[in-house]
Amino acid sequence: MLRYTIRRVLGLIPILIGISIFVFLFVHLIPGDPARLVAGQDATVKDVQLVRERLGLDKPIPLQYLTYMDNLLHGNLGISLKTQQPVIHLIAERFMPTFWLSFFSLAWALAAGLLIGVVSATKRNKWQDYSGMFLAVSGLSLPSFWLGLMAIQLFAVDLGLLPTGGLDSWTSYILPSFTLGTGIAAVIARFTRSALMDVLKEDYIRTGHAKGLPRSRIVWGHALKNAMIPVVTMTGMQFGFLLGGSVVVETVFSWPGLGRLLIDSISYRDYTVIQAEILLFSLEFLLINLIVDIIYGFLNPQIRYD
Amino acid sequence: MKRLVTSLVLMFCMLALVLSGCGSAGGTKKAVSKNGKNIVVALDSNFVSLDPQDTNDNLSFTGEKTMLEGLIGFDKNMKIVPVLATSYKASKDAKTYTFKLRKGVKFQDGTPFNAEAVKFNFDRISDPKSTLKRHSLFAVIKETKVIDEYTVQFKLSQPFGAMINTFAHPAGMIISPSAVKKYGKDFMKHPVGTGPYKFASWTQGGNLKVVKNPNYWKKGEPKLDSITFKPVPEDGSRVDMLKTGEADLINPLPTVQAKALSGKNGIDVITNPSIGVRYMSMNTMKKPFNNVKVRQALNYAIDKKAFNSIVYNGYGAPATSSMGPEVQFYSKQKPYNYDVNKAKQLLKEAGYPNGFQTTLWAGNMSQSIKAMEFLQQQLSKVNVKLKVVPMEAGTMSNKIWGVTNPEKADIQLYYGGWTPSTGDADWAIRPLLGGASFPPAAYNTAYYKNSEADKLINAALQTADPAVRQKDYAQLQTKIWQDAPWVFLSTPDNVYGMRNYLKNAYVQPDGIMDLTHAEIVK
Repeated sequence: MLRYTIRRVLGLIPILIGISIFVFLFVHLIPGDPARLVAGQDATVKDVQLVRERLGLDKPIPLQYLTYMDNLLHGNLGISLKTQQPVIHLIAERFMPTFWLSFFSLAWALAAGLLIGVVSATKRNKWQDYSGMFLAVSGLSLPSFWLGLMAIQLFAVDLGLLPTGGLDSWTSYILPSFTLGTGIAAVIARFTRSALMDVLKEDYIRTGHAKGLPRSRIVWGHALKNAMIPVVTMTGMQFGFLLGGSVVVETVFSWPGLGRLLIDSISYRDYTVIQAEILLFSLEFLLINLIVDIIYGFLNPQIRYD
Repeated sequence: MKRLVTSLVLMFCMLALVLSGCGSAGGTKKAVSKNGKNIVVALDSNFVSLDPQDTNDNLSFTGEKTMLEGLIGFDKNMKIVPVLATSYKASKDAKTYTFKLRKGVKFQDGTPFNAEAVKFNFDRISDPKSTLKRHSLFAVIKETKVIDEYTVQFKLSQPFGAMINTFAHPAGMIISPSAVKKYGKDFMKHPVGTGPYKFASWTQGGNLKVVKNPNYWKKGEPKLDSITFKPVPEDGSRVDMLKTGEADLINPLPTVQAKALSGKNGIDVITNPSIGVRYMSMNTMKKPFNNVKVRQALNYAIDKKAFNSIVYNGYGAPATSSMGPEVQFYSKQKPYNYDVNKAKQLLKEAGYPNGFQTTLWAGNMSQSIKAMEFLQQQLSKVNVKLKVVPMEAGTMSNKIWGVTNPEKADIQLYYGGWTPSTGDADWAIRPLLGGASFPPAAYNTAYYKNSEADKLINAALQTADPAVRQKDYAQLQTKIWQDAPWVFLSTPDNVYGMRNYLKNAYVQPDGIMDLTHAEIVK
C-alpha cells in the first residue's frame, strides 16, 4: 500500500513535465500579443515595445521555455505579466477561498445527494422516489447563474439575511456553496440511486433479509458500501472541477476564486498565470485520482494494489 | 397518474418559490439611512496597480485618486484646476512650463512636498530607460529643474502644446519619493501621496480600502472616514448590492436597469456625458471606401438616435464631431441627418447603384455585437451588405495591429471607441486619424492620411496658446467631418448609481471617479 502510493506519486512527475510543455506551447501559440494587451488601450507602439522587453517576450520562444522550466524547477512560478506580482501570491490569495467553497459545496451536496439517492432507491416508484428524482432533475437543469441570482434576490435583497457577494465572513459561503452544490447533489443522488438499486438485487442482500438483519443495517451497512464505487469516482471528479474554480458562480457572487483569475488571465494573455493555474489544476486532478484509487481499496478489499 | 400529480404539485411549489423571489422585488421600501462615515463602492473590474505612472486603466486611477494628487487636475467637467500647484505658465514656444507649488503640504509618510519631490517624480517617469506604462506620456520632458523650493520648471525636447493637459492626466499624480525608495518595485502595493485618504489595504483581485488622512492640507476635508472599493463584475450583483445598501455607490450601473431603479428605494441614478466616442472606421485606402461619397453615404444611412436607444438604452447622444463635447477644443459639426434617399443617391453617384458587400470587425462583448447587428440592419436598407465578425480581444489585436504593410491590411470596417485620457483634442485625433498613426504604430484603423489634416495636427502642437489651438482644432474637426473616415455614431453617457444620502461623488467625463469631496448628508 505504502509502496504503491510512493510509486504513484513519483509517477506524477513525468506527467507534470509533459503538461508543462504542452501548456507552454499552447499559451504561446494562441493568437494575441500580451504586450499590447498589458500596455493598454491608448498605448503607443513604443510603449508596447517597452512592455515587451520588460516582460522578456522579445526573446525567442525556445529560450523563453528554458527560462520558464529553469524557474519552475527552482519552485518559481514566475511573475504575472499583467500585475507584475509573483504568480504564487496571486494563486495563494485565491486558493483558500476556492478550496473552502469547493469543500462546503461538495460536503452538503454529498450529504443531500446520498440521502435522496438512498431514499429514492429504497422507496422505488413511490412518491419519495418521484420527489427525489424531481428535485434531482431540477437541480441538474437549473443554470447556476439563474439559481445564484434568484438566491441573492430572495435571501439578500428581500429578506436581507445574507450578503449578496464577496468574502467578508462565514455567511458569505452560504449562498455560493448552495448554488455550486445544487447540480452536484443532483448528480450524486442519481448515481447513488441507480448504483444502489443494482446492489439491492444481489443475492447477498437477499441472504441478509433471509437471516433477519434489520433493513436499515442492510441498506446503510452492506448495500451502500458496495454501491459507493461509482459515486466516489464521480465525487472525486466533481471535486477536481470545483477546485478549478467556477467562473459563473464566482462572477455572480463576486468571489475571489481561481476560475475568474484564469479567465482574466486568458483574456490578458497573462502567460505565466495561465501556465501556473493549469499546472495546479492538473496536479489537483492527479492527486484526487490517487486518493480515489486508494478509497476503492477500503470500499472493496478485493481490489489489490501492486 | 400518481407520478404526474406529484410532479405537478412539486412544480407549483417551485414556481411559487421563484415568483415570491421576483414579486417582492419591487415592493420593498426600506428606509434609507446610514450609520457612520464609511462607504462601499462597487466597481465592475479589479484594480491592476496603484502606481499612477504604471497605470493604464480607469479603475486603478479611481482608487489612486483618493490617495494621490497631481500638480493640476480635472474637475467634474474636465476643466483644468490647480491642485498641488498654485499657478502655472507655459512659454510661447510650448517648450518650457513653470509651476509654482503649494506651500506647507506633506506626504502621508511625513516627507515634505516640494520642488525636489516633483523633480523626483518626473525624472522617474521621463527617464529614457523607464519601462513604466505611462512613460510615453512624459517622454517629451528633457529636463526637470528645481528653481527654488516651491518652483519647478520643465524643459521639453520639442514643442508640445497639449502638455498642460498631460500634467493634469492622473498618471502625473505626485507620489512620495521616500516611499518609492523604501518599497521599490512593491510601491504599486503601497501608494503614498498627499491626498485626502491614505492607503489601508489591498488584496489583488479583491478589495481596496483607504482611510481618512487626518493631516490633509485642505481644511474640512475629507468628510468620510473610509472608502472600500469592491470589484463586482456581474451587473445584476452590483445592482443588488446597491439595493441592499451593501454598496453606497456602484459604477457603472447597467443602462438596462437605470430607468427602473432611478428614484426608488433611496437610489439616485446619475448620468452625465463622457468624453468617449463610438465610431465605425472605414478603410480609406481600399475600395469602395476610398471614395468620400461612399463614406458620407454611410453616415447618412445610419439613424444615430436609434443607435443610441438600442445600444445604450438611450444613455448617449449622436456624435457631433470626431470627439465628445467635453473634450477640450471640441467644435460642433453640422450633423449627417438620417436620410436613406440621400445615402442611396450618393452611392449611385459614387458608382455603386446596387450597393456592395463588406465586412465589419469588432470585439465580442455583447454591446459590440448589438451595435454590429444594428449597423448591419441599417446598411441593408441602402443595399450595403455587412458580414459581421465579432472577435476576441487578443485575436482582434493581432488582426489589426499585426499588420505592417498598410496595403496588405484586411480591415474594411471596424466598430470601436476611444476615450482621450488627457481630455485634449490632440489625443482625441492624432492617434486615431493622424497620418503617422497607421497600425501598428497607433489606432488609425481608417488608414486616413490627409496632408491638410496632418498639417493642422502638427500646427496645434507648436503652441500652448489656447486661442490659436482652438482655431486649428476647429478647422481640423471640420476637415475630418467632411472627409468622413468614420461613421460618427455616439458619445455615450457615464451611468452610475448612489444611495441618496451620498453627495459630491462624481464620475468624471473621462470615466475616472472623483470621490475626494464625497460626503454623507442626512
